[in-house]
Amino acid sequence: MNSHAIEVTGLSKRFGEVEAVRAASFRAEPGRVTGFLGPNGAGKSTTLAMVLGLSRPDAGTARIGGAAYRDLDDPTGTVGAVLDSTGAHPSMTGRGHLRAYAELGGHARRRVDDVALTTGITEYLDRRIRGYSTGMRRRLALATALLGEPSVLVLDEPSNGLDPAGIVWLREFLRAFAGRGGTVLLSSHVLTELQHSIDDLVLIDRGRVAWSGPLDEFTGAASSLESAFLAHTMEVHP
Amino acid sequence: MIALVRGELAKLLATRLPVATLLTALGCGLGFTALLALAGPGNSTPPLPGIETPEGVSLVVGMGGLLLFVPALIGTIAVTGEYRHRSIGTTFLTVPRRGRALVAKLVVFGGLGFAYGAVAAVGTAVALVGSAALRGVALGVPAGALVAMLAQLALAAAVYAVLGVAIGALARQQLVAVGIVLGYFYFLEHVLLLIPGVNVIHPFLPGGATAALTDFTFLSDAIGAQLPISMPVAISPIGGALVLLGYAAIAAVVAVAVPLRRDVR
Repeated sequence: MNSHAIEVTGLSKRFGEVEAVRAASFRAEPGRVTGFLGPNGAGKSTTLAMVLGLSRPDAGTARIGGAAYRDLDDPTGTVGAVLDSTGAHPSMTGRGHLRAYAELGGHARRRVDDVALTTGITEYLDRRIRGYSTGMRRRLALATALLGEPSVLVLDEPSNGLDPAGIVWLREFLRAFAGRGGTVLLSSHVLTELQHSIDDLVLIDRGRVAWSGPLDEFTGAASSLESAFLAHTMEVHP
Repeated sequence: MIALVRGELAKLLATRLPVATLLTALGCGLGFTALLALAGPGNSTPPLPGIETPEGVSLVVGMGGLLLFVPALIGTIAVTGEYRHRSIGTTFLTVPRRGRALVAKLVVFGGLGFAYGAVAAVGTAVALVGSAALRGVALGVPAGALVAMLAQLALAAAVYAVLGVAIGALARQQLVAVGIVLGYFYFLEHVLLLIPGVNVIHPFLPGGATAALTDFTFLSDAIGAQLPISMPVAISPIGGALVLLGYAAIAAVVAVAVPLRRDVR
């Protein structure tokens, strides 16, 4: 898989008085799973929304393979994304939803069955989304993100609502995806969840990137990921 | 662009909205008109012209025009539904040049509005001709004139759907948007007609322009007869059509331009 790096440079966003993201800079490299870790309200979702052009930064840039998301020739064929705002209409069936977005993104209709198989929702495909469990909706969102066979995945808290089997499945899927050369950027507020699934870590706290680099360098100095995390988030704001 | 329109169409067809729309259209066109025509407008107080007169036909068709808030509502519900169910993010990720996505939406919902209008028009025609036959009278207008009147109404339905999409794109909140559509078309526009001085603008509002389209002056005539206020002079049907198209153009620009820079969260 020929993939692209995600480069975030000096990204800032303010909502009224709140500086949600402050000059955030980091990279996510092809062939690696990059974890975007931070406590609730640290600015993870806001940053990802700016990376994907859903939200406009006040300053800074986010590029994928050197281009802003909105300037990509084939956006959904390059990047697959699962965010809070990537929902589905409850009165559609899973198949109807996937077909519509395949059509909108200019992808072949056979991709609907492919992505359903990959994400394990084939048997739910002809049911209305209204009846889907939270986990099923997450899988459907991921299936939608995979329609264009992207080489970059951006996932906001992807394991929310997944059962333990689903979490293991997702971890293996992402490892295999990066193993084929893909770029994965996934956010989480759960430390232990990332421990076994990521290569690189970007730590964000109160809108600032507190640390970024390979995971083993991060934990190297501390006894555990948890103590390293606490040390770094304390360092920035004593 | 064609792929985007097909995509928006696929989205629409995957929901139950099209079927609901066409059933509503049939109900409004056929049911409502049949009720009006069969009940015999002459039996009401004050008596209204029957469908054997041109005024009577215009009245019944114009009453159908009062139901044009339905396509507006459908456009509004469809757009705000995307925000409510948070699929707008999926849409804008798929088509990051949002203007193109919204143009496709306008085309599809303008089309759905027209389909509503066409079905309602056919239903109205069937109900009028059927009622006339049942009552053993001849319709007050020749077939050609009726067809022209109904075709105008169908086009007006497309315009209303576009207006509805624009209101939905602006308001985003489904309840707020639906409230705006109902409050405006059902309440505010009629209230404006009652205020002396202010009511001169009524013919240039969407409802007034639609009334001009079908030469439907029943409401203003009735009010003028009951109240000591002067009613505005209706504009010509062509003027009404131009006014409506103007609104559609403004609505389209608003619907495409406003969401361009707005954050999706």
